[in-house]
Amino acid sequence: MGEELIVNMGPQHPSTHGVLYLELKLDGEVVLDCVPHLGYLHRSMEKIAENRTYTQFIPFTDRLDYLASMNNNLGYCLAVEKLLNVEVTPRAQYLRVIIAELNRVASHLVAIGTFAQDLGAYATPLFYAFSDREKIVELFDELCGSRLTYNYVRIGGLSGDIPPGTDKVIKDFIKYEYKQLVEYNELLTHNVIFLARSKNIGILSKELAQAYSVSGPILRASGVRWDLRKDEPYLVYDKFDFDVCVGTVGDSWDRFKVRLDEVTQSLRIIEQAIEAIPEGNPVSKVNRVFRGTGESYLRTENPRGELGFYLVAEGGFNPYRCKIRSPSFSNLSVLPALIKGLNISDAVCVLGSLDIVMGEIDR
Amino acid sequence: MIRMFLSGFACLGFIALSAMFLIWWERKISAIIQNRMGPMLTGFHGTLQPIADTIKLLLKEDIAPAGIDFLSWWLAPFFVTVPVVTAFVVIPFSSSWVPYDLNVGVLYICSITSICVLGIFMAGWGSNNKYSLLGGMRSAAQIISYEVPLLLSVLLVVMESGTLSMQGIVHAQEHGWFVFKPHLAIAFVIYLISSTAEVNRVPFDIPEAESELVAGYHTEYTGMKFAMFFVAEYTNMFIVSATAATLFLGGWQGPFLPGVAWFLMKSYFLVFFMMWMRWTLPRVRMDQMMSFAWKLLTPIALLNLLISGWFMLKV
Amino acid sequence: MAIFLYIKKFFISVYSIFLGFRVTLKNMFKKSVTLDYPLVKQPMKERFRGMVDLIPPDCVICYQCIRVCPTAALELAHVTKEDKKKEITKFVFNAEFCCFCGLCEEICPTDAIYLNKMYEVVYFDHQDMLSIDLMKADKYKFLNEKNPSCKI
Repeated sequence: MGEELIVNMGPQHPSTHGVLYLELKLDGEVVLDCVPHLGYLHRSMEKIAENRTYTQFIPFTDRLDYLASMNNNLGYCLAVEKLLNVEVTPRAQYLRVIIAELNRVASHLVAIGTFAQDLGAYATPLFYAFSDREKIVELFDELCGSRLTYNYVRIGGLSGDIPPGTDKVIKDFIKYEYKQLVEYNELLTHNVIFLARSKNIGILSKELAQAYSVSGPILRASGVRWDLRKDEPYLVYDKFDFDVCVGTVGDSWDRFKVRLDEVTQSLRIIEQAIEAIPEGNPVSKVNRVFRGTGESYLRTENPRGELGFYLVAEGGFNPYRCKIRSPSFSNLSVLPALIKGLNISDAVCVLGSLDIVMGEIDR
Repeated sequence: MIRMFLSGFACLGFIALSAMFLIWWERKISAIIQNRMGPMLTGFHGTLQPIADTIKLLLKEDIAPAGIDFLSWWLAPFFVTVPVVTAFVVIPFSSSWVPYDLNVGVLYICSITSICVLGIFMAGWGSNNKYSLLGGMRSAAQIISYEVPLLLSVLLVVMESGTLSMQGIVHAQEHGWFVFKPHLAIAFVIYLISSTAEVNRVPFDIPEAESELVAGYHTEYTGMKFAMFFVAEYTNMFIVSATAATLFLGGWQGPFLPGVAWFLMKSYFLVFFMMWMRWTLPRVRMDQMMSFAWKLLTPIALLNLLISGWFMLKV
Repeated sequence: MAIFLYIKKFFISVYSIFLGFRVTLKNMFKKSVTLDYPLVKQPMKERFRGMVDLIPPDCVICYQCIRVCPTAALELAHVTKEDKKKEITKFVFNAEFCCFCGLCEEICPTDAIYLNKMYEVVYFDHQDMLSIDLMKADKYKFLNEKNPSCKI
């Protein structure tokens, strides 16, 4: 037993994905204890929601999980629609599925790239992933005029119809992305160093995952077949044919692989959705006034897990209370249990495989 | 005397130019691999970028963190840079272009480059930074353990050529490069792998390990001290490549072109390969790297040495 | 038999590394996806949301943009003249508060307020960003002069 060393990893550290601050207690290089400290990015989103009208809060949901803004917009708008019983046209629903899945692809690509970066594959997989993501971002730029904070989904529809020719762009992207996935597999998935670094590292058992209410790809990598798109279908997900990807062991490599497989499944959903878009008007005007009473909780399958919005309305123009159940928060809470007894290198690997976004944890 | 001074200055000039070129080249290669453009603004395709970087580093404030071990912190960059520079003494650029052809050249180069680890460890120890300390520790373990397979593979070359002088080894390859002989080809591969570890490059860049240790042993260094680490790293890369070119690829030998051109081409190709490796592979873990050195590379190198030595005796 | 498995594993490992090298080699010959940025600039998309801009004669002073703005980045005041015509006295845009969500553009009944295509927004003085007078015609002249490429 050597001397214990306390290392403050973060909030400025290349691999803590933003402003996470990990207090690591080390014995040599072995992590004895880990305490994550949060709050460096706190903006009190939930309080802001109480002081904004339902529509006004949509731009703020962009800033929750900034890698999957569309999914956040969608989750919030679905919750409000459930609360206030707002009708949505079928075309809007199909378009919502397409953009949500596209954003899932984009988000998973970032996760894959940054995970490889954390394992020391200097920037190359990251740049490949980002240049793929760039195509999606360009598309979103075309749809809504922004590249990161989309603010595209509206209560009762979308802010605008897709421009003509978008479906062809999406189809081209799908074809391109299938080719790129082969490249990721060659570069990373079966690379011997990559396998040695991530196989059997940070094994998250089924029971532990459920006890910590971990969700999303991390839960599925532990072998739990739980996907809200399948088990609790919202929008029109029940009309599409796709598989829920599950891992076997629950190690870092499984989490990576599940994400990679989910990209394929998302592409499959988009392929089906784009063929079946009905005609109609998806646009919902901003100047619609929403008010009502009641409460609603709606959870959606975000790229990082279950994003839940709990809204209470008491008749005003704004919600009385808004509680956000962010997936990354629960996913991060399992980190200390996972990295106890591992090396620093492995701790970084596990943290990278959890794929947290601080904007969502601190809210 | 004058000749020695002149060759010394020539070497220093070459080191500066080579390091600058390599820094630019690394950035360009990474850009090409990653479908980017790399530096484009300063000079033609960013060729003057290293000079701009150097000027920036020269003008930077030299910050000394609180609580450092001043002597070791201050001396560390020199301990890293000086051995690398002195290693140039025996590098044969062509049949006549060699600063001083020591008769124990190979031994000299192997021993002088392993002094670097001292500087790295001093930097890690002196910086009063936990990341630096971990980086320094890792580097000490890594470089010392990879010295073994490196020397074992070099030993084979010495056995084959029967001399320790670099020029002598080049002359011994007149009838065919050593890399084309099967047992020396294995030695070449072992040499490449362990020299990559020796100069702390990916996949063995554990002492620096950006995603884990921020920047490892040179986290706390700024300005010219950091530049010295940087120059040392790139020059070290050139040294191991030049040594590999000399020991295995026939040194300056080659048809048509002058010897210097051949030598530089071979060395820079090996440097290119190391860069290519850096931008392709992930990093291995500390214990994996150690077990790779001791459980795989060293036994193979020993076995290779044993078998080829037996054949040499028989023949 | 174990030794054969070991050797097989060894060759698979070498092959996997070779595959990685092949991918990067292939990518060496691909065209660059980035642009030589300050010299070549990407044209902005049709719906791009840049700085908030106003066509003063089109504004009907309905105050909808003020109401919808989630960050209170807009400030509007008006006077009513004798002939019951309204006139804007103050229409100020605070670029620091703005989150570029584009809700004001969406809600405007006459499309008077809109988000232009400027994306290189750099001011020398912090104060200049806090109160950009939307009524002035040359409010973004300074930016335009600096970046002719993103002219509106």
